[in-house]
Amino acid sequence: MLFNFANVLTFIVFGAVFVGINITLSRILQARNPHPVKLSTYECGELPEGDSWIQFNIRFYVIALIFLIFEVEIVFLFPWATVFKELGLFAFVEMMIFVFILLVGLAYVWVKGDLEWDKSTAVPDPALAPSAARQELTEAIAS
Amino acid sequence: MDNVLSWITFLPVVGILAILFVPKDNKNTVRIIAAVFTGLQLVLAVWIYRNFDSSTSAIQFSEQYKWIPSFNIDYFMGIDGLSVPMVLLTAFLSFICIFASWGIEKSVKGYFAMFLLLDAGMMGVFCSLDFFLFYIFWEVMLLPMYFLIGIWGSPSRTEEDGMVRGGPYAAIKFFLYTLFGSIFMLIAMLVFYFNVSDPVTGGHTFNMLHLMDQANHGGVLKDFDVRLLIYAALFLGFAIKVPVFPFHTWLPDAHVEAPTAVSVILAGVLLKMGTYGMLRISFPMLPDAMKWKYFAYGLAILGMINILYGALCAMAQKDLKKLVAYSSISHMGIVLLGMSGLTSLGMNGAVMQMFNHGTGTAMLFLLVGVIYDRAHHRQIDGFGGLAVRMPIFAAMMSLAFFAGLGLPGLSSFISEAFSFLGAFGSETFDLRLITVVSTIGIIITAGYFLWTFQRMFLGELNPKYAELPEINGRELFTLVPIGILVIVLGVYPAPLLDLIKTSLNELVEVVKAAEAPTMLGLH
Amino acid sequence: MDYSSIIKDNLISLNYFLPELLLTGLIIVLVIADLFLKDERSPWLSFVALAGCVVVLLSVIAQFDLGSRSLFQHMLVVDPFSVFFKLLFLASAIAVIFLSIASVELAGRPVGEYFTLLIALTLGLFLMASSTNLVTILLSIEFVSIVSFVLATYLKTRRRSSEAGLKYAIYGAFSSGLMLYGLSLLYGLTGTLNLYEIGDVLASRDSNGMALTLSTILILAGFGYKIASVPFHFWSPDVYEGAPTPITAFLSIGPKAAGFAVLIRFFNVALAGEPANGASQWSALPELDWPMILAVVSAITMTLGNLVAIVQTNIKRLLAYSSIAHAGYALMGVVVLSQDGIYATMFYLAVYYLMNLGAFLVVIVFQDLLGSEKIADFKGLAWRAPVPAIAMAVFLVSLTGLPPTAGFIGKFYLFAAVIKAGPAFYWLAVVGLLNSVVALYYYARILKTMFFDKAAEENSISVSPYYVTLLALLAAPTIILGVYWAPLQKLATNSVEFLRAL
Repeated sequence: MLFNFANVLTFIVFGAVFVGINITLSRILQARNPHPVKLSTYECGELPEGDSWIQFNIRFYVIALIFLIFEVEIVFLFPWATVFKELGLFAFVEMMIFVFILLVGLAYVWVKGDLEWDKSTAVPDPALAPSAARQELTEAIAS
Repeated sequence: MDNVLSWITFLPVVGILAILFVPKDNKNTVRIIAAVFTGLQLVLAVWIYRNFDSSTSAIQFSEQYKWIPSFNIDYFMGIDGLSVPMVLLTAFLSFICIFASWGIEKSVKGYFAMFLLLDAGMMGVFCSLDFFLFYIFWEVMLLPMYFLIGIWGSPSRTEEDGMVRGGPYAAIKFFLYTLFGSIFMLIAMLVFYFNVSDPVTGGHTFNMLHLMDQANHGGVLKDFDVRLLIYAALFLGFAIKVPVFPFHTWLPDAHVEAPTAVSVILAGVLLKMGTYGMLRISFPMLPDAMKWKYFAYGLAILGMINILYGALCAMAQKDLKKLVAYSSISHMGIVLLGMSGLTSLGMNGAVMQMFNHGTGTAMLFLLVGVIYDRAHHRQIDGFGGLAVRMPIFAAMMSLAFFAGLGLPGLSSFISEAFSFLGAFGSETFDLRLITVVSTIGIIITAGYFLWTFQRMFLGELNPKYAELPEINGRELFTLVPIGILVIVLGVYPAPLLDLIKTSLNELVEVVKAAEAPTMLGLH
Repeated sequence: MDYSSIIKDNLISLNYFLPELLLTGLIIVLVIADLFLKDERSPWLSFVALAGCVVVLLSVIAQFDLGSRSLFQHMLVVDPFSVFFKLLFLASAIAVIFLSIASVELAGRPVGEYFTLLIALTLGLFLMASSTNLVTILLSIEFVSIVSFVLATYLKTRRRSSEAGLKYAIYGAFSSGLMLYGLSLLYGLTGTLNLYEIGDVLASRDSNGMALTLSTILILAGFGYKIASVPFHFWSPDVYEGAPTPITAFLSIGPKAAGFAVLIRFFNVALAGEPANGASQWSALPELDWPMILAVVSAITMTLGNLVAIVQTNIKRLLAYSSIAHAGYALMGVVVLSQDGIYATMFYLAVYYLMNLGAFLVVIVFQDLLGSEKIADFKGLAWRAPVPAIAMAVFLVSLTGLPPTAGFIGKFYLFAAVIKAGPAFYWLAVVGLLNSVVALYYYARILKTMFFDKAAEENSISVSPYYVTLLALLAAPTIILGVYWAPLQKLATNSVEFLRAL
């Protein structure tokens, strides 16, 4: 039982040594010609402005999420298309359902205003006064 | 009258339902309902007493229905000579206690509902013959007791040493101690269940009569070490209830902080459940474990410690109620000693002592309640010369004290004498030295009762209490019946003795016949 | 590749997948309805969700007659075992919807997303209970986790709620990372993702080395996180405290029960041998004594949960620790590797649903009445608001496990299963019972505060009939099942069958 741990230990030691050797080697072998442009952050060829450790606008995350969802759709659609003929009607219906659900998602983000970049005018304050109908219900319950 | 045991057990539950429908302000209606239902219960108990055939040790008035068939749990009630006195005692004291709690004003509905629930639980414990059912009733009592002590007991207070004491503290302590004990009982119960087979169906069983028959024992119960462990687990559960030293520390707290009627029930009935459980479950189901040298002598020695330690503690008390509480520990020790010798005499004495201590200590607690209601304290030294001012009260108190110290002609004399003689004359174990040492307890008991009587009632009347009103009619109504019982059973104990002896002699024979084990190399 | 047979199998499987399909439909309906509602705080969506749940409930009940069947190329399974859990999840979801409708905490928040997520969570739990493939196990657990994160942080303007969500997410990511590693090791060992095949492969070998032990422990991290067992319990007090109380109630029941479902299935299918000639007890793989591992985890979990609960001053945190302890109790049934044990665990979870939900309902009521979750603020409440206080007494007594309540019966079955398994596990029964005493201490302390202490104010507080009805609906079965539990017992007995081999 205990001997089995030797495998793990060997693995760890080998991993550490391997990484260590490589880093040390590159330290020794690399040429050092520092230049301000070389040391700058790579941003698709643009000259970087300021620090990259900044807070990004929260809207980027929403966009990224939405992007991700539709990206996944594509991932499904391509292989589906290549074998579409062999699968027939079943696969068609199935994919339509899938696309429909995604469309509902799209409608959702659209209506909720998440496709608007500038939200200052879009949605009212998301709180906190209970709606009339809800208040009615609460009162009905309370009485 | 069929199903009389179900009726006597569940009448209080019907009473609870009735009480729940009474408007909050009709306090007297609630009290009357409680009195009516416990009164009916008492009538049934008397009916049972009249119709009980004491010439046989068989189970009587039995009822058996399937409850949870898949787990072989039955609703099985029945009584024999061991349970009948306890049933009588429970019904009698519950009825009396309703009147003793007449003065309760705080949330009357809640109080009497809880009290009746407690009553039902107690009655159920004494009537049930299915271990599972027994356990349910056993545990059902805890919760009402917790609330009765916590809500209607003395309020929380901070002592001089910074410790918080009072009803809530005592209630939670009582709850924890008893639950701690009963979980071990649960384990023992399950081990029994899985290792005993029903002779009829071959399945597992909770039926106590089957559990008592050694022929049904199998599985790990064949292993004597396991039997010893199970006996120890059961003993722990029952010992905490008795309470046996060193598990007794909940008792002074609970008895002192509880309202009068609840103290009466605690001391009068609940303590007996511990010894009842030993006689009903431990002894007949595991007779060989009981006869194991170390357990047998251990039981006797613990009885001795209870007698002496309880008496000495009682002597040191300044608080009258605490004194009575410790005297209970001492008197329960006599029960333990009486049953440890495995003689007919001692066993009968022990069960009689259970009954007589129930009545005697009930009287004492009621009397403490009487004086506390008037003087609002219970310091023994704070009184003096009360006999002049309250002659009837003093007479009652002297009767209770003399009953407590075992004066010949009063009930507990006979039971104590039987217990000591039975232990002394044991042929199975040599308990003579232990018994002789234990009898010192009688002298100490006489000492503290007489000394207390002197300090409270004789001498100069404390001028503070010159206007103290005499005991009133309602209080006398609760005390006189008990007093009569104490005197009658002291002069003529035959009714009680006849009731129990057939069953108990059989129990003694069963345990005696069990093979004395020689295991673990310790015999 | 023979597509047509796969498609055919999938199409047949769809028939047995009706409850999940209905739930998916309900989610879409809720999203669309939310879009068309002018007012996103309108209560009508809760009624839609409720009605949908009832429909799903009917379809789940119909599944009882189906027997056991493997679906979608052995990805999922329908068997009485999973149906039992589905019922439990639906019952929780319905109860939580009722709690949410009246909750003051949630008033004024958008309800569309709330109920959509709630139903989505239920769907995830359904999948968890019926997964028989490493991938579906992982995906369903992640599904439940991610939805739970969002729901925990639903009161996003409240600091504690955000904190709860963050902690939940971090612990969740950590433990599912561990589990994923464990699953990949298991896949590497056996070359298959199918639980049944894994079981066969493992059983056919003499030794699988340390890797199997390692992977089991790592996988246990994922399950342990879901059921909140030590040492993966750290998230639960913070999450329980910060999340909206109805969600806390749901999290303490749904994912916990689902965790048990998947744990029982995984261990008993993949890591246990067939019962020897029809015995009711089966055997673990000889090289891996996971019952002992689970027994130790169970003992530590209940002890730690109970001991830490003693010092809590916030009722939600106290209930969080108590629910950790209850996970420990329920684990006792898994340890003994028998029908009785699994049956006891299922019975206990069903009972736990009643009493724990009840306790959280009382917390919600008190929150509404007093605006406080501090136990110290409950002083003398029994005299001001007797109904919730008495209901709380019932639930707490049941949680302690005292008769005549359902909690006692639940514990009784667990202890019975442990004792039946023989002297090897007596110690576990003793630990469990001693823990009941510890638990009694802190539960009784709440009762003491409510019943024995003097209230700061004397005025009585009126409780709305809505709450009184809900309290009665939960308290009554808690007591009734303590006296006559044959119906629930029958249901659990019929459901203890799960598909053990293909």
